Amino acid sequence: MSAPVIEISGLRKTFRDFWFRPVAEAVNGIDLVVEKGDVFGLLGPNGSGKSTTIKMVLGLLAPTGGSVKIFGLPPRSRAARARLGYLPELSYLHPFLTARETVMYYAGLSDLDRRTAKARTAELIEQVGLAENANRPVGGFSKGMARRVAFASALVSRPELLILDEPTSGLDPIGTREVKELIRRLAADGLTILVTSHQLFDMQDVCSRVAILSHGKVVGSGRVEDIVAAAADKRHALEDYFVERLGIQ
Amino acid sequence: MRRFLALSRSAALEALAEPLSAILFLAALLTVHLAPVFHYHQFGEAGRLARECGFSALLVFGLVFATAAAVRAVGGEIARGTAAAALARPVPRSLFFCAKVSGVAAAFALFLVATAAATVLATYSSEVGARLADAGEAADVRIWQPGLMMGVGLTMCAFIGAALLNRFARARFCFSACVLLSAAQPLALLAALPFGRAGIVATALEMQWPIVPALFVLACGCSVFIALAGALSVRLRPAPVAALVAGAVLLSFVWPVRALLPEIGRFWLVDRLAGGGTMPWGEAGAAISAAACLVAFWLVAGSMLLQRRELP
Repeated sequence: MSAPVIEISGLRKTFRDFWFRPVAEAVNGIDLVVEKGDVFGLLGPNGSGKSTTIKMVLGLLAPTGGSVKIFGLPPRSRAARARLGYLPELSYLHPFLTARETVMYYAGLSDLDRRTAKARTAELIEQVGLAENANRPVGGFSKGMARRVAFASALVSRPELLILDEPTSGLDPIGTREVKELIRRLAADGLTILVTSHQLFDMQDVCSRVAILSHGKVVGSGRVEDIVAAAADKRHALEDYFVERLGIQ
Repeated sequence: MRRFLALSRSAALEALAEPLSAILFLAALLTVHLAPVFHYHQFGEAGRLARECGFSALLVFGLVFATAAAVRAVGGEIARGTAAAALARPVPRSLFFCAKVSGVAAAFALFLVATAAATVLATYSSEVGARLADAGEAADVRIWQPGLMMGVGLTMCAFIGAALLNRFARARFCFSACVLLSAAQPLALLAALPFGRAGIVATALEMQWPIVPALFVLACGCSVFIALAGALSVRLRPAPVAALVAGAVLLSFVWPVRALLPEIGRFWLVDRLAGGGTMPWGEAGAAISAAACLVAFWLVAGSMLLQRRELP
């Protein structure tokens, strides 16, 4: 049996100030396993530790305790990171680069040769609906358009694991629907996806498994299918489960 | 190599795409070209004022340009989150840091090319102007007019060209301005040659070409501060970095800490060119080697700082 795509055990993260005094315990002993082909939703209220967990998975933050493995490798390993794509919570883009140049830049960082990078960029720019604005600097883009560029950049290297931090944040209902469609399509192609979101209704549509985080701990997890099957109100099953696990009246 | 090129290209582009860069390029080049106009103070030698202006422009305007660009390329990327997005790819942190600083150094090299060509032309214009005035051929103005006209004219044309490119081809204005201003300077030098009284070849031979390697040596000294600014901006915000680099530059004039910073006096070879002096190649070589060692030191220091830096 192959290793899980992401394996997190006993993960902890304590942020410290300049004098190394603990300021906040963002993640407090998380255990998670994301298997190949999963669309895994990491859900939770603001400050529950979702983004911190993702940044430790990406090797951008060093865990205070516990361990993270991606494809059985440490997160800072180049071999592991070569197989993943990342969409940050905010669309961090270089404002002076055009949409095309931005995707080409990330293609370069993924070590794609020029011909492949050009072809892949053209394909993705078309796919995210930015063909007409491909040569405009992204600094002048709306939040939704910038999100599309970031999405294309995350997909440029054809990753096996896609990490999406709040993918629908800042998108209008049509944009949100397109993102959900894209996630479904990518999942159907066999891509493993780890996604964080506040949009429980949307997550119920796309996720195969979820974990609910609260105060840096997993307070509930399971298959979406099972959660929906057990719920009285099928339409709001995930929302009800979320509220129940957080102990909100 | 592709990763390095992608990172350094974006750093160079960002350095040149900032409005501050275009302003600094223009200010530096006009300062150099117009220096011969102030002919009442020539430091006892025609052309010396123009020559020293060129070196000062590289040191002051160039250093401000490159330091600001290095802070943006490293600290700005960390603050903006683009560093995290890049480092989530298979990009080693040391490669990221070195590539970003190299990109800024490439943009600074463009500044060096522009300043060097402008300084050679302005120095020649000043020398020939003084010679003509002493011979009674030019009564008031001690400047070789074709040199001044070509220098200032093509500099302004470059700026207008950038505006036109922006208007009709949607090219980035500041980036185009910096590139065109840099290209305009060697072009001005070439365009002025046919107007030389001694013929094109003789005029070219009369020019003070040792200015170019002497400016290169100074640029090597400046590059240490670029690497220092990059390394500091891994951990600090732009204001403290600017203060520390400014302090380091002053320190290197008055009390050089040779193990960490360049001794600017060793890189300031313009005095050696005074009075028809020749380029001290041995000293230049030693200064370049010292700068290379210090740049390497700050690149390693910056890479190590970035290795340990958390990117929330």
